[in-house]
Amino acid sequence: MADIRLEGVRKVFGGKVFAVRDLTLTFPSGSVTCLLGPSGCGKTTLMRMIAGLEEPTSGEIYFDNERVTHLSPSQRHIGMVFQYPVVYRGISVEENIALPLTHDKRLSPAERRARIESVLETLDLAPYAKRDVSTLDNGTRQKVAVAREVARQPRIILFDEPITNVDVSSKMQLKRALKRLVKQHSQTIIYVTHDQTEAMTLADEIALMRDGMIVQRGVPSEIYDHPSDRFGGWFLGNPGMNFIDYRLDNGALVGGLFAQPLRLNQTTEAHILVGIRPERLRVQTTPAPNWVPARVRRSAIVAGGQHLLTLEIDAITVKAKVPESLRVEEGETVYVACDPDDLTLFDADGHRLQARILA
Amino acid sequence: MMRVRGWRKTVYHTALWLVALIFFAPIAWIILGAFKTRSGILATPPLLIFTPTLDNFIDLFSRRNIPGYFLNSFVMSLSAMVIAIVVSFMAAYAFSRFKPRITNFLMFMLLSIRMVPAVAVVVPVYLMYAAIGWKNSYIGLILFYAMFSIPFSVWILKGFLDGVSQRYDETALVNGGTRWHVLFRVVLPQVAPGLVAAFIFNLIFVWNEFLFNLILGGRDTTMIPVAFSTDLYSDGGLNWTFIAAMATAYMIPPIILVYVFQKYLLVGMTFGTVRGEV
Repeated sequence: MADIRLEGVRKVFGGKVFAVRDLTLTFPSGSVTCLLGPSGCGKTTLMRMIAGLEEPTSGEIYFDNERVTHLSPSQRHIGMVFQYPVVYRGISVEENIALPLTHDKRLSPAERRARIESVLETLDLAPYAKRDVSTLDNGTRQKVAVAREVARQPRIILFDEPITNVDVSSKMQLKRALKRLVKQHSQTIIYVTHDQTEAMTLADEIALMRDGMIVQRGVPSEIYDHPSDRFGGWFLGNPGMNFIDYRLDNGALVGGLFAQPLRLNQTTEAHILVGIRPERLRVQTTPAPNWVPARVRRSAIVAGGQHLLTLEIDAITVKAKVPESLRVEEGETVYVACDPDDLTLFDADGHRLQARILA
Repeated sequence: MMRVRGWRKTVYHTALWLVALIFFAPIAWIILGAFKTRSGILATPPLLIFTPTLDNFIDLFSRRNIPGYFLNSFVMSLSAMVIAIVVSFMAAYAFSRFKPRITNFLMFMLLSIRMVPAVAVVVPVYLMYAAIGWKNSYIGLILFYAMFSIPFSVWILKGFLDGVSQRYDETALVNGGTRWHVLFRVVLPQVAPGLVAAFIFNLIFVWNEFLFNLILGGRDTTMIPVAFSTDLYSDGGLNWTFIAAMATAYMIPPIILVYVFQKYLLVGMTFGTVRGEV
């Protein structure tokens, strides 16, 4: 176990491409942090710098209080799992896991054996122990790669999108195994992904990255419910948040989604973006006081048996997730309402506002 | 439909057999000749049915200098290859992994060196060797052959190494391995087919080499191809049974190698590009 501290870490490629911009943050010891962000946001570069595969252009990296910025990967005592399953072909699963351990002279054969057994057990690899890895599918190979790193018991393990290249059927299984693993072991784990469900299920904490910067950090529910930035609202969720442009009318939000004007306690902004998650919009087919009418433009089935509706309210288009039981046709009129607590307010630049809606 | 296909197949196979026979006829003639007597080998029409004799081989290997030629061929081609493969593997690894800025240019240079006709460099190489004093020396010839084999081997091996994901290197580095460990324990086993292909291709090149062995070699470093030209005559004429016996013995090692390693030669000829892996 060790915490990882970055101080002003920057990586510039070719003198002009900023992959990582002056990051200062700490990954706490023994926790699972997911670096989440779209492709090309610098998360893999950041990870490679922590592993020592890439040297920062400037800034320092510390494991606990040891400065590791210029140490080679092998001197850092970490484990790393890549997107592609890296296994040594032609030898068995067991031998693959044992390979790095055999170079560790401090380990007794009994202890080595015990570690291998334990990790085979945790990752459901016991039935494959004697099989040649070349005969296994990608999902199982990736498990072997994970097992090899875990068995070494490094103080830090880095995962670089380990699930991305695994076929759908093994994905769930691998995800479950990883979850079990992070619960059992108390190593410091950084997990890079662009898949939000992976991040939500595995992480103690999510660090949302964009353009080489950390946009927001927090526990998954906080990041999801209270994005600090328009980007977080848009990137998380499937589909992301609805954003509706409002011009404040006497310090109140008028029209559109709201049947009654909603007053805000701070009114310095002229323009406000109102964010609401599609699943938080309430939709029904019968009219009621304070519900606004909307026309259904499109209806599609999404995962989980829900319907995704594209609704038009005056000139506004929003998306809403509704249960399948609510049967609506395209072109029909439905009624929409929302709870002020479910709204997130942003300024014109997309930063979250502290302003609250007065009851 | 089936019949048309069957008919085409027959024509195709007949053509293949015909081509194979045309190519194989001289080889068959020389191999049969090795077992004939001196009068039998020149008989017209050629004798197809005759009593084979091993006299020619006994004569061949009882000559004092012949085993030495074979030994020279073996020692020089094998040692030149070992040097060439080690150097090429490391060079190809550097090109593949560290991607120096002028990689493409250097790779092009390497290939063009190989394209230059050997005769074009005979004079400068001879003068260099004479100056260094490496004429008729093992080390000189071995290094020359290694040098000549490196460009092609680098090309083959770079193709194979590009096919091995860098994540292998990185995993091994993170797992505590050194760069040497990565090179020889992690990456090398994965490009074994490429190594074998490069090894065999170049081994055959050295095995067949005549020009430089004639020019740079001498009495102590003569290999079999040169021996053909120097030990050709006896009793005032061309000694055909001697030629046939030596040619037969000379053909055996490459035939065995190609037979054993034929699948590697195929992947080698495609520069490793068929291995669409990680």
